[in-house]
Amino acid sequence: MVETITITLNGREVSGYSGMTVLELARESGVDIPTLCHHQHLAPYGACRICLVEDEKSGALLASCVTPIGPGMVINTASPRVLERRSMIVRLMLASHPDSCVVCDKGNRCELRQIAADLGIGLAGLERVYSPAIIQEVNPFMERDLSKCILCAKCIRADHDMVVEGVIDYMDRGFGARPSTLADVALEQSECTFCGTCISVCPTGALMEKNRVYSGSTAKAVDTTCPFCGCGCTITLEIKDNRIVRAVPFNGRVPSNNGRSPFIGVAGHGPPEAGVASAHVPGREVNKGTICVRGSYGYEAVQSPGRLQRPLVRKDGDSAFEEASWEEALEAVAAGLNGAIGAGGPQSVAVLGSTKCTNEENYILQRFARTVLGTNNIDNGSRLSSAGTRVGLGWTLGTPGSTGCLEELEISDVIMVIGANPSESAPAVAYAIKRAVKQRGAKLLLVDPRMTKLRPFAHLWLRPRAGTDLSLVSGMARVIIAEGLQDDEFVTRRTDNYADYKASLAPFSPEDVEKATGVAGADLVEAARTFAGAERGSIVCGNGITQYVNGTATAMALANLAMLTGNIGPHGGDIVALQRDNNGQGAADMGALPGFLPGFNSVQDPEARSKFEAAWGMDIGENGTGGLPDWVGDTALEMIGKAQEGRLKAMYVVGENPALSFPGKEAVKAALASLDFLVVQDIFLTETAKLAHVVLPAAGPFEKEGTFTNLEGRVQYVRKAVDAPGESLPDSEIVMRLAARMGSPIVYTPTQIMNEIEDLVPLYEDPCETEIARPGGVGGGQFPGTDRRGRRFAVERSRRLHKGQFPSAFDRFHPVHAEDSPGSNPGPCQPDGGGGGLLLLAGTGLYRSGNGSTTSRSRRLKAIEPESYIELNESDMVALGISSGDMVKVISTNGEVAARARIAGTLEAGTVFMPISFPESPANALFGIELDSRSKLPALKACSVRLERIGS
Amino acid sequence: MSEPQFEQSNMQHRPACGASKPDLNRIRGIIAEHDGQKWPLIPVLQKIQDDIGFIPPESITILAEAFHMFPAEVQGVITFYEQLYMVPRGRKVVRVCRGTACHVRGGKSILKLVKQNLGLEEGQTTPDMEYTLETVACIGVCALAPNLVIGKETYGNMNPKKVSQLFVKQTGSGESGGQS
Ligand code: SF4
Ligand code: SF4
Ligand code: SF4
Ligand code: FES
Ligand code: FES
Repeated sequence: MVETITITLNGREVSGYSGMTVLELARESGVDIPTLCHHQHLAPYGACRICLVEDEKSGALLASCVTPIGPGMVINTASPRVLERRSMIVRLMLASHPDSCVVCDKGNRCELRQIAADLGIGLAGLERVYSPAIIQEVNPFMERDLSKCILCAKCIRADHDMVVEGVIDYMDRGFGARPSTLADVALEQSECTFCGTCISVCPTGALMEKNRVYSGSTAKAVDTTCPFCGCGCTITLEIKDNRIVRAVPFNGRVPSNNGRSPFIGVAGHGPPEAGVASAHVPGREVNKGTICVRGSYGYEAVQSPGRLQRPLVRKDGDSAFEEASWEEALEAVAAGLNGAIGAGGPQSVAVLGSTKCTNEENYILQRFARTVLGTNNIDNGSRLSSAGTRVGLGWTLGTPGSTGCLEELEISDVIMVIGANPSESAPAVAYAIKRAVKQRGAKLLLVDPRMTKLRPFAHLWLRPRAGTDLSLVSGMARVIIAEGLQDDEFVTRRTDNYADYKASLAPFSPEDVEKATGVAGADLVEAARTFAGAERGSIVCGNGITQYVNGTATAMALANLAMLTGNIGPHGGDIVALQRDNNGQGAADMGALPGFLPGFNSVQDPEARSKFEAAWGMDIGENGTGGLPDWVGDTALEMIGKAQEGRLKAMYVVGENPALSFPGKEAVKAALASLDFLVVQDIFLTETAKLAHVVLPAAGPFEKEGTFTNLEGRVQYVRKAVDAPGESLPDSEIVMRLAARMGSPIVYTPTQIMNEIEDLVPLYEDPCETEIARPGGVGGGQFPGTDRRGRRFAVERSRRLHKGQFPSAFDRFHPVHAEDSPGSNPGPCQPDGGGGGLLLLAGTGLYRSGNGSTTSRSRRLKAIEPESYIELNESDMVALGISSGDMVKVISTNGEVAARARIAGTLEAGTVFMPISFPESPANALFGIELDSRSKLPALKACSVRLERIGS
Repeated sequence: MSEPQFEQSNMQHRPACGASKPDLNRIRGIIAEHDGQKWPLIPVLQKIQDDIGFIPPESITILAEAFHMFPAEVQGVITFYEQLYMVPRGRKVVRVCRGTACHVRGGKSILKLVKQNLGLEEGQTTPDMEYTLETVACIGVCALAPNLVIGKETYGNMNPKKVSQLFVKQTGSGESGGQS
């Protein structure tokens, strides 16, 4: 039982729980105590003494951030002694502060300055002097002026305890002490990822963003969900004159206005005042005060010049684009789509929904496809990255995606990261993993052919040959069963098909696995024992699993392993399946899939169809005519295939860029160009849009309202921060106008659409909707980081579909099929098959998200990595006569791209790595189209290449 | 007033040019010797310093990995302690006292003389790695002021003649006191 403690605070009795600090209780009670070294996501530190309060009984001055409340305490937060001492401390800090304070760019965001102002300590009459401590750094993101450092160590603690990068620490002692990198080098020479978390916690101007467009404090701030990966971090956008000027991690506080102290945030409660930008529930966000470099600087891309402003139409056939009115453009789209349906029926049109659009937009779009166009040919971009885990986990566990959330991941005692490099693809997940290792002693089993940045945290690093994870995972399972380490109770009570599964593991003895994967038998056994020995054993997997032709099989093998060890459900670990894009999960949940209506209701299930037919008011004729199409449509790559064959006549592509992101680039472009009609709806004139007949300008992720579903399955609000440029409109608005134009209006208000989704999609139902305001409702809506159920996410989430969404109410073991594990098969291209001799691995880079369609347009993200690169092992470089910095041509049987060579100690000889995120050198162009037979996901991870040096 | 606190960009932490490659295996050996000990970092650092004469910057990553720390954290510990150095130091460390007693009895000119004799400024080391020059606060033998210390020996009642003799004798002896 937690004890309740009552204290007297400024003459008023208030109660809190034992273990609370005076500061926490004061803030909860609406009493503001200034702090400098305290941060809600960091352990109390007690260094700055700004938070002093007086204990009236003993007369002692106490640092409230580290003082626990005690029964009968009488605390005064603003006694004359407190104020006097606080002023003295601030004066001392200012005395060793440079005189440039008045013109310091941190301006009113500087907490030291705000506190000084609140205490009436004047700053006038000071002149800027050259400050010797500005560290010369060439990176585009961050600048440090350590003469303004007050040694609160927040940056160091944020770096060590929140993002766990370990880039900076104090150097020297006494007067000379300051946060410094290893060997005191500039940040760009250190391991710094430029995440920006330390900037966001620094209370003074010592750490600041570089290349700011605007420096002052802003009057408007909007909390929203970051659109640059599947993590779905809660970020706060600061707005000035309809421009986003800064993105910071949501930190439970509202940026200050008019020199006021910013301490409006109250742990666990909304702001005490009406009229502030947002309410919030600190500590419930995915990112817990952290951010990554894409979240910090990616917004620039959305504001870059080149945004589409008006619809573009080709007046006749192949003529150049001309700007058109919405009327004209939608008329052209209606005519184009109707024409195709007239010629080839609904089967000859297809729609691509978007992993970047909101749930509501995808929902409306799939309704449009099914009811207006009459087609189930609808898919979304997650087909190319996470379809393997969605299908694999769906078939086995009934959960079409992650089975748990990051909070649960963080309390796991063993975490296996396999086929995933979250440090770059999903930084917030990497932060959680590293915190689990560093702070809770979790054991990390890292399985990756590349040495990733998680390596220093790993208990054991297994380095299988690329594409052999299925053998490895099955081998672990075999060891677990052989040693009797399985969770018999879970297996008996919660699963079926165990006997078949067990039998199918016969060919995966440690010796066999060693032969197939190159991982030593002893390591395999150690990994198996470690995982089976976990109280909570979690698995993090990503595209390194899914983007092989046997990706779904490997995902199922992971599900098998989790079932075998009882790591499904609230008392075990989780499978966290990464999502490359911000709403890959949501697009699928919303039914932007060829075989499923929203909520994974099969299109072949008459009952499900009639449910939606009724909801959408469809007129069903005598013999069932006029209803929803009952045939399974085409997946993304199948659409391309049909277009090549001339069987697909028209495509409506919303927020996806197949000409860039699909494999077999030239073939895909040719297929798209051959369509009778192509309409592309996007925020930029993408490679795909350039091939279109009509281009519709859409609002970007910061310019509309809605929800995204992150990789955990958490539904989070997206809020409008700025107006969309020109005449561009939110995707939902465009689709609804188009439906009206085509004679079948779809009409929703934002609230109606959310209600309908909650009613019809069990995953999204909101059992306590009355507890929280609707977006746009009174009080400005609620915090976007809670799930829509508004409940404690870790415990009560109901995403686990054991109630029978999928075939079986049980978790079902899936036996390993021989054809899925052809030894060391790394996918369609064997390293020595294509005559290249080198095995190329393709993956996400840190400074761009996904294939870089959007983020490559961010000024600062582009500056740090202006061009594509290919990483090589030193011995390969020597053998090929290539030096670091040379331009090379990367050639496969399917295409070639140019990239600059880089030496990397992270790769084995014979393996090279290339990021997929550079539109000018799309690594995907090196791949042919080869699909996983189950998920129809194209292999995009590994292929065989050779290199030619083309210059230096 | 603004204090140019960070003016010297900490060059003293970088290895002196020409310093030979440190014996990293020795460092691994020292780490192994302390295996299982509870807070091993400080004793390991002291041992490295005793054995090698300084803590080679190259050892930081090895230490960090061994003790599951961040390299920057290890550096933070090393730079926190005055007795730990990341630059090679001379086999003999000369410390000239500048405590009050020594000061009033001419410690300042003794320091100047030592500087001249060794051709060093404070904190520097002779190219042959023989001497490092430092100053210290009172070393507790004020009765003999002005004082200086070479290695572990204290030399009292210094005067110019004694100073030059001291260094002729010391340099001339050809005997190296410390580790090689
Ligand atoms: S930007 Fe991020 S990685 Fe770099 S020092 Fe700051 S917290 Fe660490
Ligand atoms: S740089 Fe900022 S956050 Fe870091 S110690 Fe100094 S004042 Fe604190
Ligand atoms: S981790 Fe992903 S969601 Fe979070 S800030 Fe970075 S890009 Fe955005
Ligand atoms: S905020 Fe309490 S000591 Fe710094
Ligand atoms: S002052 Fe030099 S020994 Fe005391």
